[in-house]
Amino acid sequence: MINSRYIFAELLTRKGRTFTNTLLTATATAIIIFSGLATGALQKAFQAPLADLGATMTIQLSGDVPEKMNGPVLPCSVAPINEIQIQQITTLNGIQSTSPAILFWDFQDDAFQVVTGFDPLDQSGPALLQQTMVSGRRLTGGHHQQALADLTWATDQGIKVGNTVKIADRDFEIIGLVDSSRLSQIARAQFYISLTTARDIASKSTGINKIHTFGANDANILFIRADRDKTEDLTISVKMILGKNSLIATPQSFQKLLGSMFTLTQRFASLIAALAVIIALVLISRTTASGIRERSGDITILKTIGWTNSEIGRQLAAESLVLISTGTAAGIIIGLSGGWLLSLFSIAIPIPWDMAPTPHFLAGGDAQLTRAVQLSLPPAFKLIMLATVSALIIGLTTTIISSRAIGRLKPSEVLRNG
Amino acid sequence: MDKVIEIKELSRHFATAKPVKGVNFSVDTGEFITLLGPSGSGKSTLLAMIAGLDKASSGQVILKGQDLARLSEDELALFRRDHVGFVFQSFQLIPTLTALENIILPLYPVKMTNQEKRARAKTLLEQVGLHGKENNLPTRLSGGEQQRVAIARALINQPDIIFCDEPTGNLDSATSNEIINLLLELNQQSQVTIFMVTHDPNIAKISHRSLYMKDGEVSLP
Repeated sequence: MINSRYIFAELLTRKGRTFTNTLLTATATAIIIFSGLATGALQKAFQAPLADLGATMTIQLSGDVPEKMNGPVLPCSVAPINEIQIQQITTLNGIQSTSPAILFWDFQDDAFQVVTGFDPLDQSGPALLQQTMVSGRRLTGGHHQQALADLTWATDQGIKVGNTVKIADRDFEIIGLVDSSRLSQIARAQFYISLTTARDIASKSTGINKIHTFGANDANILFIRADRDKTEDLTISVKMILGKNSLIATPQSFQKLLGSMFTLTQRFASLIAALAVIIALVLISRTTASGIRERSGDITILKTIGWTNSEIGRQLAAESLVLISTGTAAGIIIGLSGGWLLSLFSIAIPIPWDMAPTPHFLAGGDAQLTRAVQLSLPPAFKLIMLATVSALIIGLTTTIISSRAIGRLKPSEVLRNG
Repeated sequence: MDKVIEIKELSRHFATAKPVKGVNFSVDTGEFITLLGPSGSGKSTLLAMIAGLDKASSGQVILKGQDLARLSEDELALFRRDHVGFVFQSFQLIPTLTALENIILPLYPVKMTNQEKRARAKTLLEQVGLHGKENNLPTRLSGGEQQRVAIARALINQPDIIFCDEPTGNLDSATSNEIINLLLELNQQSQVTIFMVTHDPNIAKISHRSLYMKDGEVSLP
């Protein structure tokens, strides 16, 4: 039978050891939970720019700079991805869907505009922009002279639903306004038209076809929905299809853009958590061993008056359990609180210029576009379980150390102590 | 009279020393025995073997009819819990527990209701004259009071024998007399056997019988 009064009398009287062991356990637990939450939150943040558009990765191909900035041109330096390449990519293992799109610049005599063509029926890519529609109606598939306008651009230019605008020297009716600032900056444009119409424009554009051959079923940006655990393998496969000029954006590539600190945080989060557990284990084991030495007199008394080794072991294990439980509970609270504080912050994910190009010679063209992502925490249940198991390992180890130390103490020592 | 302790050719030897050499004696139930002798004569080693705290190198210790050599470490612990009480020179109380909790300590692992344990401990606390001190920690008790707690602890499991290792060694003479009188009273009233190691010839005089130990051998004075 374990005596709870004796447990608490010991823990409360030997405050230094109690505090040290509780603090060490709490620290290890908090580090496991916080580093796990931070890693998860960052992973989610790196996925956000693509996830906004329902994609796991985007694929582009770099090419030559247009000779003249006149009429429709592909943004420098984005080249077409031909129909065969699109087919090859679509059939790769791990790809769930492919949404081709066309992003082009339209230089007019007195104006410049960015245009994106997408298939309105797609489940990923710019088609999702239609979810941010503020007025008018959605685009439909097929070839027609209808367009959506970006709300900010439309407001600046005084464009309203029902107006007619010139795109690639053709008249387009504005049928709706979308607030594309609410989604990713990727492929953000002033006007959105159907993919079929965009293909027609691109394949017939002399400016584009002077340096490229834009086929009737080509595209210059692919939004890919794929198995998340296969993105690295897919990146290699796509590079084999498109060659070294391919530009592939994945959560990992967004992470790299943020610099080494985030990469290090991600890479070493597990290592830091494991080190925290090991350090706590070593220090608590040492504290426990010194605690047994400090209490050797008491333990020999217990043996003398008839406590068996296992009874003493159980009593000390119960003390250890109380310490570890308190430390773990405190660590969980600290770790979760740290995670909550983290969720108050947002990070600015840089969007590569190729994915939201504005010519450098235009105002704001050389500004770095970013997508501000509020950090959101992953579910903490697994982390709490991991931290609890780690704490139990610490508790079990200290119990084994205690039991071995108890076994070595002889009851006759009590006579030497008087 | 029943023999509560039987010692036959008991010896203990280490690599370079032989502190107990072929000791023989027996103790009857209810006797108050003192073991006298100079420091280093082997008294504590002999006491440890008789009380089942240490194993003999050769010979036999039969306590309440049980040959202690046949018991494992845990069986010895349980035997001590059931049949033996201890009183030490330095009291050997647990500093983090109150007087009452120290008295109950041998019963903590025993399956018995807490109420029963506390009732038994309170009765003993009053018996040793410490009424009202049950919640005091050892540091808030005088030496004499601590030894009284130790005596009550030795009695909580209703033992057949109490082993005392110089129980008055750390007490002034007035307190020593009180403690010895308390032990005598217990011996007379409860018929509990007392085996006491002491340097004090005055205690030897009031005991039923004294043994004298010198150079590892026991003789009658």
